Formats: sequence, C-alpha cells, structure tokens
Amino acid sequence: MSRNSEQWTQKPNLPTTHYSDPIIYSDPVIFEEEKEKIFKNTWLLASHESELPNPHDFRTYDHPGGTKLVIVRGDDMKIRTFINMCPHRGNLLVYEPSGNSKNLVCIFHQWAFNAKGDCVDIPREKEGYQDRVGKSDVALREVRTETAFGGFVWVNLDDNCVPLKEYIAGALDYMLPELETEPLETMWYYQGTINTNWKLIHDTNSEFYHDYLHYHNRITGMTDPKTGYWTRKMKAFPNGHAQVGTMEASYEQYQGGGHSKLGWPNLPAGWKLVDLYPCITFNLRNSVLRIDTYIPLSANKMYFEFRAMGLKSDTPEIRRQRQKDGAVIWSPWGRNLHEDLIASEGQTIAMAKDSEKMYFIAAREEGAGCQDEIALRHYFTEWDKRMGRSHNDPMAKSNDPMAKSVARTVAA
Amino acid sequence: MSTKLNGNRVGVEELIYESCMLMDERNWNGFLGLCDDGFEYMLTAYSPEIKKDMTFLDHDRKELKDLFDLLPKHNTDRSPFTRNATVYKVDYDDAKKQANVVSAFQIFKTTLDGGRTGLFAVGKYYDTVSLGGAKPTLVKRHVKLDTRDLAVGTHYPF
Repeated sequence: MSRNSEQWTQKPNLPTTHYSDPIIYSDPVIFEEEKEKIFKNTWLLASHESELPNPHDFRTYDHPGGTKLVIVRGDDMKIRTFINMCPHRGNLLVYEPSGNSKNLVCIFHQWAFNAKGDCVDIPREKEGYQDRVGKSDVALREVRTETAFGGFVWVNLDDNCVPLKEYIAGALDYMLPELETEPLETMWYYQGTINTNWKLIHDTNSEFYHDYLHYHNRITGMTDPKTGYWTRKMKAFPNGHAQVGTMEASYEQYQGGGHSKLGWPNLPAGWKLVDLYPCITFNLRNSVLRIDTYIPLSANKMYFEFRAMGLKSDTPEIRRQRQKDGAVIWSPWGRNLHEDLIASEGQTIAMAKDSEKMYFIAAREEGAGCQDEIALRHYFTEWDKRMGRSHNDPMAKSNDPMAKSVARTVAA
Repeated sequence: MSTKLNGNRVGVEELIYESCMLMDERNWNGFLGLCDDGFEYMLTAYSPEIKKDMTFLDHDRKELKDLFDLLPKHNTDRSPFTRNATVYKVDYDDAKKQANVVSAFQIFKTTLDGGRTGLFAVGKYYDTVSLGGAKPTLVKRHVKLDTRDLAVGTHYPF
C-alpha cells in the first residue's frame, strides 16, 4: 500500500544510526561547514609521485576546502606543496595543470619562487620597497605534504594535523603488499563534472549492495560461486575509514569483457577496496588500481578525479593490456562507472533540497558481509563527530559558533 | 595524390558521414557493415595533467560487436547523440589501395527528458579506409578526443 505524506515523512523505526536526513546532501550551509570542519583538516590525496618524476616538475591541485595548490619536486627530489598564489597581488602562480620550471614565476610582476618556496626575485626590489619589504618576507605558504602508501602525494592544510600514518590508522595495511611491491605509475587521470553531492559517490563506494546496479558485477561476482563474493567482510577503522575483504576477480561470465589474466603483483586475480575518509577510494581489481578522489564545487555539484594506476615497469604491451582491462568497467565508457554516476545524479535530482522529505536508509546488517551497510554507518558516525551535527537530524539547533558563522555567511 | 583514386573522395566522405548517421541511430550492425573484417577501433585522449595518451576503448571487430551486444543489458543514459563531422583531409596510399582520412567531429547530446541539446564532446576521427573493394570500407578508426570531462560518461562509442 502506498503512503501518505505523514507516513512518508515519518522517521524510520530503526536506530538513529541507520538512516539519514537527505538535507545533508543538498544544504548549502552544511556544505560550507563541511569545507571548514572536514576538508581543511583531513589528509587528502592530491597527486602521485609519477606525475612529477623530475626536479622542478609541478602539478596543480584544487583543494576541496577552496584553496588552489601547486605541488613541486625540488632539486633534492623532495615533493612539497604550496598555495598556488603569488603573495604580492594574489595572482595564480601556475596556470597549467603540470609542467617543469626551475622557478615559479608570477606572470603579473615577475616575482619568482624556487621549489622550496623561497622568493628568489622581486624586480626592482630596492627601488620600490627600499628595506620595507624583501624577498625573505614573502616566501610561499607551504602545506603539510607526505608521499606515502604507494607513492601518492597527500596534503593537509592544517599545520597542526596528525601525521598521515596516524590518520590512515591501519586502513591501508592490507593493501600495502600490492601498493609497495614496486613503483606505480599513473596511466589515466581524468575528471568529470557531475551534478551531485560529493558524499553520495563515496556512499556508493562504501557498500556493495549497489552491485544490483551493475550487470557486470552481478554476473562476475554475486552469481559466480567461484569468486568468494559473499564471504568478503567489511571492516571499519578509526577516522571513518573502511575496507572490504578480497575476492577472486573472475570475469568468465561477462562475454566480450576484454579482461585479461594479467593481474597485479601479490594479487594475481583478486579485488581489494579501501575507502578513506572523507572522499578517497583505493580500488585494486585484477590488473588495475583505481583511485577516486572528489572535489566538491557546491552542495550539488562536484568533479571526480579518477586515476588508473599501472606499474612503472610495464612494457608497452602490458600497459596496453592493463588499460584495456581498466577500460571495460572504469573509463568514461566503462560499464560500471557510467552506471554509478547516473545513479548519483538521480539521487541528487530526487533528493533536491525542496523535494518532499524522506529518510535515506542505511540499515542492512549482514554480519559485516559485503552487502552490510556498516561502512556507511561508520562514515556518518565520523561525519557527526566532525560536524557537531547528527546526520539523521542535522538541522537541530546547533550551539557551535562556527556553524552559526557559516550559516550567516551563506545566508548573506 | 593518385588521379586514379582521387575520384573516390566522395565515396570516402560518404562512408565517414554514413558511419556517423548509423551511430546516431544506434544501428550498430549497420555500422559494422561499413567495417572491414579486420576492423580496429581505438579511442584515446591526451591528458596534459600526466602528459600521456589515455586509451579508453581498444577493440577489434569481434570485441566491438560484443560491446554493442551487451549495451541493452546495462543501465545507461539513453539520451541520443548527434555527430557532426567534417572531412578535413584525405591522403591516398596507392600501393595499399587505402585512404587515410582526418575528420573533425562534434557530438551533441539531447536529453530524453525535455530535449535540451548541449555539446558533449569534440575531437577528430583518424580513419583508414580500404578502397580495394566494391565500395570503401573502414579498416581502422582512431578517435582522438579533445574533450576529457565527459560528466557521467556514456556506454556508446563515438
């Protein structure tokens, strides 16, 4: 029997941990607050060392907190990150997404900075500033950076943040044999701008119940008894991270899939996945490691960054096959990626801010099996902690001064 | 340039345009009917971020047919595409009885719900066309995309 408005808007008869108010996916005040309380003090994956192999290589990164960054490899081969802004008049220092330059030189007035962030030239410095402003006063703002867990470059805007390893809290340990057995290399980097809230895609990555969305996964996992699909276990880690246990990647049932048996060192035909808070996924499946990171633009718009990783030692023939394997499910033409993304946009359309309210249910309990929604619930426990709100009743009056300040700013 | 083969320029252009029309109609068997038995299809995009070509589709004729046959089984955005191609250049290889053809294309998507049309992608077709048979056929198509942000993506080859 269908439900009337009162029944439709009634809170589910479930523990409050098991459902969310969809306003968390559409409210601009909440979104602005997320930038302050989540993105500006968590470790985020910004690049991979293979994208800056040589001294003076640089790579840009749009930090989800709203700050433009530039990642630079120095003469000492150390990778550092700076705010991509000239401290003189606030112009972008670097316009292109990657390149190589001994110094970062602002096009506006030619102020120049080396790969350690030191200002090395101010045209007509003495004539204009005498001794009031000098190069030593205007170095770039450096951002906490670590290169780790397979050569990925991580950044954190908070100078006082905990070390990366402490933040990851063991969540990537079970993938370390695959991440660190030999150097990796980015073989794809592409973005896609989509009309959805940044959390919805991460939600999708956090549960495998959505395999019903994917014809490919239904017949290569759920219905193929060889794979061990149903014995995979979800495991929660501190700070909102989660992982799902391995299974065999068997693609025989998907005719014409183009998957090879190339595999990955230490994981010849398997699948491992780790979700890191707030919006990073490590997804190693057969011969390709896919890395998802999300850059929110507003409450209902974002772009995703997809990296497909191969091995630096790949021959051209192996690299071609590895790309072919990844393309079946994960390229812009991939069978699964497109399905995930149209579902996320569909959620955003249906759960729009002014739509009649419902409750977003995350209540599956299956002994922490892969279709248990424990990782989703764990994610929202962390969201609650950081936001000082409850995901099931987020608009309850908050005494948090930051929340009030953000609300005033957005209203203005 | 061969005077003998030069007269086939119209046939070459019609082949390219017909391939676009059949793909717009999602007449995949019709498209394959334009292709040689040894047809090879590749779609790539250059990433300035990592300074590499990325290969997003790489199929022989059988693999492409498998892909087409699986399309109905997947959830997909079924909004129609309109391909607008212009043949820029036809170079003839007399010895191989082939032409190498460069065409620019723009692909527009018209939403099923509401019918709004927007530009989806631009790029070029690099086609190898056999001229040795009764009519020109596609031997190889390399789609080089300029557009890299394809939003939710698509299941339909270009």
